[in-house]
Amino acid sequence: MRNRVLASIGVLVAVVAAGLVVPAAGQAPKKYTAPKTPWGDPDLQGVWNDATSTPLQRPGNVGDRGVLNDEEAEEFQKSLEHDLTRDRRDGGNAADVNRAYNEHWMDARRLKITADRRTSLIVDPVDGRIPPLVAPSPERRRAQAARADGAARFAAGLPADFTDMSWPVRCVVRTDVPPYLPTIYNNNFQIFQSPGYVTIAPEMIHSARIIPVDGRPHLNKDLRQWLGDTRGHWEGSTLVVETRNFKSEEGVLFQGANPATFTITERFTRVASDAINYEFTLADPITWTKPWTALIPWNKVDPGEQMFEYACHEDNFDMVHFLTGARLREKNGETAGQRPARPGEER
Amino acid sequence: MQLRRTIGCLGVAGVIVLLSLAVPPLLGQQRSPAGQQFPSAYRPPRAADGHPDLNGIWQAFVTANWDLQDHEAQPGPHPELTGAYGAGPAGQSIVEGGEIPYKADALAKKKANFENRLRVDVSNDKTWHAFGDPEMKCYMPGVPRATYMPFPFHIVQGTGPYILMAYEFTSATRIIRMDWKQAAPTDSWMGWSRGRWDADTLVVDVTGQREETWFDRAGDFHSDALHVVERYTPVSPYHMMYEATIEDPNVFTRPWKISFPLYRRMEKNVQLLEFKCVPFTEELLFGTFRKQTAR
Amino acid sequence: MRTFRSLVLAGAALLLVVAAPAFAHHAFSAEFDANKPIKFKGTVTKMLWVNPHAWIYVDVKKPDGTVEEWMIETGTPNTLLRRGLTKESLTNGTEIIVDGYQSKDGSRRANGRDLTLPNGQTLFLGSSGTGAPNEKK
Repeated sequence: MRNRVLASIGVLVAVVAAGLVVPAAGQAPKKYTAPKTPWGDPDLQGVWNDATSTPLQRPGNVGDRGVLNDEEAEEFQKSLEHDLTRDRRDGGNAADVNRAYNEHWMDARRLKITADRRTSLIVDPVDGRIPPLVAPSPERRRAQAARADGAARFAAGLPADFTDMSWPVRCVVRTDVPPYLPTIYNNNFQIFQSPGYVTIAPEMIHSARIIPVDGRPHLNKDLRQWLGDTRGHWEGSTLVVETRNFKSEEGVLFQGANPATFTITERFTRVASDAINYEFTLADPITWTKPWTALIPWNKVDPGEQMFEYACHEDNFDMVHFLTGARLREKNGETAGQRPARPGEER
Repeated sequence: MQLRRTIGCLGVAGVIVLLSLAVPPLLGQQRSPAGQQFPSAYRPPRAADGHPDLNGIWQAFVTANWDLQDHEAQPGPHPELTGAYGAGPAGQSIVEGGEIPYKADALAKKKANFENRLRVDVSNDKTWHAFGDPEMKCYMPGVPRATYMPFPFHIVQGTGPYILMAYEFTSATRIIRMDWKQAAPTDSWMGWSRGRWDADTLVVDVTGQREETWFDRAGDFHSDALHVVERYTPVSPYHMMYEATIEDPNVFTRPWKISFPLYRRMEKNVQLLEFKCVPFTEELLFGTFRKQTAR
Repeated sequence: MRTFRSLVLAGAALLLVVAAPAFAHHAFSAEFDANKPIKFKGTVTKMLWVNPHAWIYVDVKKPDGTVEEWMIETGTPNTLLRRGLTKESLTNGTEIIVDGYQSKDGSRRANGRDLTLPNGQTLFLGSSGTGAPNEKK
């Protein structure tokens, strides 16, 4: 049983590594030939959605199952749906307030596991988990602690200034920083193509990742950007994308990876008329002990569903609410992590 | 001997110059508003969608972002700190007829906008957008302002019913939905753009724009009834003529038009870079709400 | 041998090991107070269909007859737009019931945890079309 599971995971990884179709459990892979644009590039155009309930990392209680059978998949999906749905009100007010809104404000696709029934989006390492972290240097540890202090002040509702809010809350970047990961809503990407380019426009926050596929070099290393600088090339019907030149601000990249040493390779393969396989490999020798890879299916949603503008900074009233609220509560005697004692209360 | 040959060469060169000046009128010429000459009946190469290929990186070189109308050079916001840095150049009006046809009360509002263009007060949600040039706050500029910001933009034209315009300024984007029926479901900063082809001109109808955008730093403004119709017409491999008709019965007495050329950026390996200006504005917008440390 | 099903059902902390994604939505408890739940009926005076949060302004009549204005924070309007809703989908004057949590600073602001119409229907649950290009509007 265990060997069969490991063997099937091994096959899965090999199949993924070859950029081929990931088969649904029990089916032989169908040969799909992606249509081509008139200038001969594989056609990835359209509006795509990457929401799923399948977690990035294999959860602790599925043993070493990498791919589930029909019955298990149904249980897995139901269990995740129960955990994730915002329509539940149990668990007390502290849990309830963080669910924020009803489920219909969220992306409905995020309650569905991936069609290939994996137990994690990570496919390498085979245990489906992010590799262990490298012990940070004292300097990095100090920087991480400073960011953590800011985050703690924010979580307590007492940010000192706008730098205590995270880059996403400040509307600088959100899901547009690669790797693209599913979130609670607006999980949409529109792909445009033109001769010599593939362009990916994420919904949240608006931007256009215009990727030259004509072999031109990257920008020189001193020209850095929040979203880095990207170049692509075709390997068969897979678009292989390399990004460098991330800005030096820490806290932008996944798990606080270091922009100077972080590398990311992404692969886009159209595997069906309504599906793209999006795969990314991350490496940062001073953050993770080894590189790791995840595979996330993208589902085509247009023309029935469209992307809409996600302006963010323009009406980001909460930045002021957080700060003026904090100043008011400080005036009333609150300090970070502590509320003032009530009359008669012992402290 | 050397000198005579040189004079002879100069003479020949002079004749060539004279001929080149004389020749153009023999071909059909089209005078653009800028006074330059483009061959009329230029037939642009076709893109994969069978229409003129607008793919590429374009930029305007008018100074309309300072002021759509005639303007002299002006000092920047804080000349006592920055001298000639940030000062504004002079420019000629890109408005057909020269002046924007404001209604009387609207003109007063434009003047008030200008007086308050550097004023920022976000302490109250209801008056968050009341003052200050939205460009200064790094808000998306809307249409047509995005076209004449001093930054390039990239037109991505493939197949299918969408054309993307990606602007370097604050990574603003807009999707032009070709031959589309659905109207704007809500207002947005870059508006709701529906496109169609009129011979070799891309015509874009823009509605549903947020009323808070300005046309320029001079305080020229509009209401939420703004309706813009743009026309993009390639006139040479390196130039595209841009025209926009602006209509807003709440603010103007009649529709009015702007036009200017767009230039293809020709540098080798040119690409849009990032101008993510939100971090440049946070101190301005939110600095006053910082926790004051005890002295 | 434990079946997969029993493993899954037994696992209370199914998502224990999920690392924070690049964008994890900010904790609402940073702004709204779990100890200050509110529930009242109000009349919609306007709705701002904006990101990152749409806002519904409601007038709330207090027992003593005075009227208070509350600002209710909701989610991204884009999800609603995709279901065919538009800025016309909530008319001013509509009565809604707001069930949520008040702002920590005590101001008249709350998150709209559960918004319903007086008849019990969830606000914005339905849709009115798909918004596809060939749909007449």
